[in-house]
Amino acid sequence: MAQAVEKVATSPKEHDALISGSEAIAVACKLADVDVITAYPIRPYDTVMQYVAKLVSNGELDCEYIVAESEHSQFEIVKHASAAGARVFCGSSGVGWMYAFEALTVTPALRIPMVAMVGNRALDDPGAFGVEHNDALAVRDLGWQLVWVDNAQEALDTALIAYRVAEDRRVFLPCAIACDGAFLTHSQSQVKIPPQEWVKRFLPPYNRGDLLLHPDNPITVAPQVNEDWLMEIRKHNDEAMKRSKTVIREAYAEFAKIFGRDYGNPFFEEYQTQDADVVLVGMGTLSMPVKVAIRRMRAEGKKVGFVRIRWFRPFVAEELAATLGRFKAVGIIDRDFSFGSPYTSGVLATEVRAALYPAEKRPPVLAFICGLGGREVTVPDVQRMSEMLLRAAAGERQPLTTWVGIRE
Amino acid sequence: MKQVFTRPASLAETPMHYCPGCTHGVAHRLVAEVLDELGLRGRTIGVASVGCSVFAYNYFNLDFQQAAHGRAPAVATGIKRVLPDRVVFTYQGDGDLAAIGTAEIVHAANRGENITVIFINNAVYGMTGGQMAPTTLPGMRTTTTPYGRDVRVTGYPIHVAEMLATLKGVAYISRVALCGVAHITKAKRAIRKAFQAQLDGKGFSLVEILSTCPVTWGLQPIDAVRWLEANMLPVFPLGEFVTDGQKERA
Repeated sequence: MAQAVEKVATSPKEHDALISGSEAIAVACKLADVDVITAYPIRPYDTVMQYVAKLVSNGELDCEYIVAESEHSQFEIVKHASAAGARVFCGSSGVGWMYAFEALTVTPALRIPMVAMVGNRALDDPGAFGVEHNDALAVRDLGWQLVWVDNAQEALDTALIAYRVAEDRRVFLPCAIACDGAFLTHSQSQVKIPPQEWVKRFLPPYNRGDLLLHPDNPITVAPQVNEDWLMEIRKHNDEAMKRSKTVIREAYAEFAKIFGRDYGNPFFEEYQTQDADVVLVGMGTLSMPVKVAIRRMRAEGKKVGFVRIRWFRPFVAEELAATLGRFKAVGIIDRDFSFGSPYTSGVLATEVRAALYPAEKRPPVLAFICGLGGREVTVPDVQRMSEMLLRAAAGERQPLTTWVGIRE
Repeated sequence: MKQVFTRPASLAETPMHYCPGCTHGVAHRLVAEVLDELGLRGRTIGVASVGCSVFAYNYFNLDFQQAAHGRAPAVATGIKRVLPDRVVFTYQGDGDLAAIGTAEIVHAANRGENITVIFINNAVYGMTGGQMAPTTLPGMRTTTTPYGRDVRVTGYPIHVAEMLATLKGVAYISRVALCGVAHITKAKRAIRKAFQAQLDGKGFSLVEILSTCPVTWGLQPIDAVRWLEANMLPVFPLGEFVTDGQKERA
């Protein structure tokens, strides 16, 4: 959780509001003074577009707000508004995000610092509205920065940070903020809404520089490059993604100074890990049942901790591996699947195992698939996973991948 | 005792989930009655779209395929080309057909696919929470146009029937409304003609049905019907736009 620190800015004050994760993202759009927003309804993202529409209609947000005829056009419109110098916001969920995939794939290569919200949703068919992470994870190889948040305050703060990082000339890559469908998008909690002045101080105007599409700066955006240049363009993206780690650290430090909320390590949160024997690792709102279960197990003397990954791209492999090396066993909870992947586990487990491979200390890693299709990750689920981890820590052989909370 | 009213065999006995006053139930019944009367129940395949009517497969006593958002005409094309002796129809709302599915409907019509489309136009996205659709009336309040649709910013309602009527592959197109018995009777007649066009192998047929969405319109069911009559009919003129179209054969 964010820790309160002394604020540099003292006036004017923040104000409290009871809002959902979706509304928090809409408020961030207002505070960031976004120029162009496009929308197309799909659950659970659609609540964001409704809150944005309300802000625009009430004159609180002055932006071009376009309801497109599909997600594909929705993302194409903001992409090129961004190329022409506008700060943009977009979002979708599940198959809507996938329908925009052609647009999504080329956004990083064009160095478009779009900020998008993914209201995580299962990929139908068969029809399902509930949370799964495979939709957002689908862009993990393409140059999108990808961050998971677990509460409305973090959604608002991260959206502001995302603009600062994405629009930094050292990065110029899009950023997707993943919010668990229903559990975060539709759940209200108390949120501190910062004053506009603080945001202005934190977030410089978007300056596209020599990449600006403008008659005074004759360029061609997205020409045919083929084998002549594509490899160099990919390498540019690679370098930008590497630089993004530094820019993210700077942005969180500056955010803590101005807003008084210090998230500590931007990339992952540690919960009760200091003396832990074993830890669970996961992303998003499953942190709540995990933390509740850990408190209960701690009361029984079981030393379980939790590492919640925020930034999946860039992925801080060395740092995470060094942290996880402190424990006797590590359990990865995937709210996603990757059929046929190594040890038939999920995406996060595969990435964490890969991160650990060159590390000096490699604890046993157990993979868990849990909470698919919006099914709850329950406290007993977490206790069961933790017990398996404790057995693994004691040297007892455990299955490498386990589906938890599934009908037998 | 003489039985004068019964459930059409083409409708299942599943209770519908539609909101009180929603006209999906009426439209479902009209389609089912026509299929019964034409004796088509045993050889008809329906294609359900995304939207409130996604669960149509639960309510029709027919074979069904669920399509991705907007893709129903493409799905129907695939089925009909392989099974030309079956009757294939799609059942789509305006958020599906007139927005994300615009490309599919235009090109299925232009190819003269021998399918029937039942197009429900209630001027909003119903299922996702009453957002503005391409068919939303000027000045109409929705969750994304809280002070009314401003056509200078968001454009104008799309007239799907008129637009598709310009295409040569179309055999039959009409627009009807579900407000009052006379209109409902006409709607059934139009649906029958559309299926007949398919049976005759003439090509693409579509019936646009002006419908209500009392919940997202914020109206009582009866008021919603009156609102439809007073507000939608002037914007979406009723009538038959193509009645004798025939796909040109090489």
